[in-house]
Amino acid sequence: MNKPILLSRSNLILFIIFLALIAFPFVMDSRTLTILLTQILIFGILAMSYDILLGYTGIVSFGHAMFFGIGAYCTAIMLNDFESTIGVFLGSIVVGMIIAGILSFLVGLLTLRLKSHFFAMLTMAISGLLLVVAEKWRDVTKGNDGFTFKAPDVFKDRIVFYLVVLALLVIVFITLKRFVNSPLGRVLIAVRENEQRTKSLGFKTLYYKVIASIVAGVIASLAGSLYAVSLRFVNTSVLTMEITLDALLMTIIGGVGTLIGPLIGSVVIESAQHYLSGLARDFPIFERWIIFFGIIYILAVIFFPKGIAGTLQSKYYQWKAKKVQTTNVVPLSKNKESSE
Amino acid sequence: MDLIISLVINGLATGMLIFLLAAGLTLIFGLMDVLNFAHGGLFVWGAYTGIFSYAYTGSFIVGIVVAILTGLVFGFIMEKLIITPVYGNHVQQILITLGFMLVLQEMIKVFFGPNVVAVKVPEYLAGSWQVGDIIIIKYRIFIIIFGFIVFGLFHYILTRTKVGLIVRAGVMNKDMVQALGINIKRIFLFVFMTGAALAAVAGVLMAPYSGSIYAELGMEYAILAFIVVVIGGMGSFQGSLFAAILVGLAGSFMAYYVPYLSLAVNMILMAVVLIFRPQGLFQAAKG
Repeated sequence: MNKPILLSRSNLILFIIFLALIAFPFVMDSRTLTILLTQILIFGILAMSYDILLGYTGIVSFGHAMFFGIGAYCTAIMLNDFESTIGVFLGSIVVGMIIAGILSFLVGLLTLRLKSHFFAMLTMAISGLLLVVAEKWRDVTKGNDGFTFKAPDVFKDRIVFYLVVLALLVIVFITLKRFVNSPLGRVLIAVRENEQRTKSLGFKTLYYKVIASIVAGVIASLAGSLYAVSLRFVNTSVLTMEITLDALLMTIIGGVGTLIGPLIGSVVIESAQHYLSGLARDFPIFERWIIFFGIIYILAVIFFPKGIAGTLQSKYYQWKAKKVQTTNVVPLSKNKESSE
Repeated sequence: MDLIISLVINGLATGMLIFLLAAGLTLIFGLMDVLNFAHGGLFVWGAYTGIFSYAYTGSFIVGIVVAILTGLVFGFIMEKLIITPVYGNHVQQILITLGFMLVLQEMIKVFFGPNVVAVKVPEYLAGSWQVGDIIIIKYRIFIIIFGFIVFGLFHYILTRTKVGLIVRAGVMNKDMVQALGINIKRIFLFVFMTGAALAAVAGVLMAPYSGSIYAELGMEYAILAFIVVVIGGMGSFQGSLFAAILVGLAGSFMAYYVPYLSLAVNMILMAVVLIFRPQGLFQAAKG
C-alpha cells in the first residue's frame, strides 16, 4: 500500500478500541451490557460477511440468513446430541462452515450467472425454501418452537464467551482485510465497478463471484454458530428474512465497501434495538423502531450511499491529503450496471 | 374426479390472486426496468385498508374500492419518492424497494396493530354450491371470475387502446417512444400506480379467501409473485397469467398429495426455468 502513515494511524485507533473492548467487561460489571456487546460483535461478523457480497463484489443477496441459520443449527444440534464440550463446539463450527461453504458454492454456481434482479429473487426464494424445510423437519429442528441446549461449561461465564467472540471477530476482521486487499479482492472490486470490462480483461467473473459468495457464506455460518451459543436456544427465526434484513441495514447504514462500516452499523442497530425497545414502555411507537431504520436506510441509499464509515472516511481523506487516492472506498452509486 | 375438480378450483383461485399481484410486477419491470420488492407491502396494505373499511361499512365493494384507492395513492407516492431517484441503478433499486417494503410492513403494525385479523367472507359470497358430489365454494369461483375479468380488461387495454399501444411500445423500446414525443415518465407513473392498485386488490380479495391477514403476509405472496414473474417471463402479461395458474395448480395439487413439497415445487419450477430459459417461458419482445 502506498499510504503507510495513514494505515498505521488507523490501525492504532483500531488497536486501542480493541484493548478497550477487552478491558470493558472487567471495568463495567454489567451483565446486560456484556450480553449486548456480545450480540453486537456477533452481528458485526455477520454484517462484515454480507459486506463482502454487497460492498466489495456488488451483488445483492437476500438469502444470507440461510448460512447464518445453518451455522446456528449445526452448533445447536451437535451440542445437544453430543457432549457439550469445547471440542464439540469447535467441531460444530467447522461442520457448519463446511456445509455453508458447499451450499454457497452450489447456490452461487446456479444463480450468480444471472442478472442482479434474478439473483436477488432466487436467493430470497432458496432461503425461503430452507426456512420451510426447517419448519417441517420437526424431528431435527423442532420447528418454530425451537429447543434449548447446554452450552459448554466454559461459556457459562458470559465474560469468557464475550472474549472468545471478540477474538474471533478480530481474526475474521484481519482475515477479511487481507482477503479484500489481496489480488483476488481487487478483482472482486473490479467486478463491482464494471463486470463487463473485468470480463473483457480476461477474468472469469463467475469464478470470482462464486469465491466471494463462499467466503461470505462460511463467515456467516460462524456468526450463526456463535449466535446459537449466545442464546443457548435455537428456532427457525435464525433462517428468516429478518436476519438478512439486519445484515443489510447494518451494512448500508454503517457503510458499504469498508469492513469497519458493518461493525459500526452493528453497534448502531443493535444498541438502538436495545434502547428503543426499552423506551417502548413509555412511547409505544418505539415498539416499531425498525420503521426509523427503514426510513434512515432509504435515505442512506439515496443520499449517503457510502454509509457512516464511507462518508467519514472519504471526508477524512479529502481533508488529510488530496494526493492520496481513495482507492479503498468507491461509492456504490458509481456502480454502473454492467450486466445489461 | 370430484377431488380433482375441487383441487383445480382451489389452484385456479390461488393462481388468480397471484396473477393480480404478478401482473403489476411484470408490467413495471417490463416497462421501467424496475423490480419492485415492495410489491408485497402494497398487497398487504390493500388487504388491511380494504378489510377495515369493509368491516366499518359492511360493504365488500366499498372495501375493494378503498383498496384500489390505497394502491393508487401508495403507487403515486412510491414512484415519486422512491423509484425516481434510482432509475437505471439496479442494485440501488433492489435495496431501496426492499427497505420500503420493511417500512410498509411495520407501518401496518403501527396503524392496524400487530395481531392477526380474522376476516369473514361477505354473506352473498359465502357458502357453496353442491353439484353432484362436488362442493364448490362460491368465493373461489368469484375470485376466478374476477381474475379473468381483470385479465380480459387489461388485455383489451393493452392490445386495443392507445395507452396500451404506448405501454407495449415502451416495453419494447422506451427511448424510441420518448423520441416520438410521448412523455414516457407519465406512462411510467400510470403503469406503476395501476400495478400498485392491482396488488392492493389482490390483497383485499385474498383476505376472505385465507380467512386471516397479518403483516408478514405480503412477503409470502410476493415471493410467489416473483416466482410467477420469472417463470412467465419478465414483462409478459399473458406469461404471468399462464405461470400464475401453473403455480396455483401445482401448489394445490402438491398440498394435497405431497404436502412437504408444496412450496418446493414452485422453487424447483423456477430454478429449472432460470437455468434452461432465463428469459422466462413468454418473453416480451425487447428491442
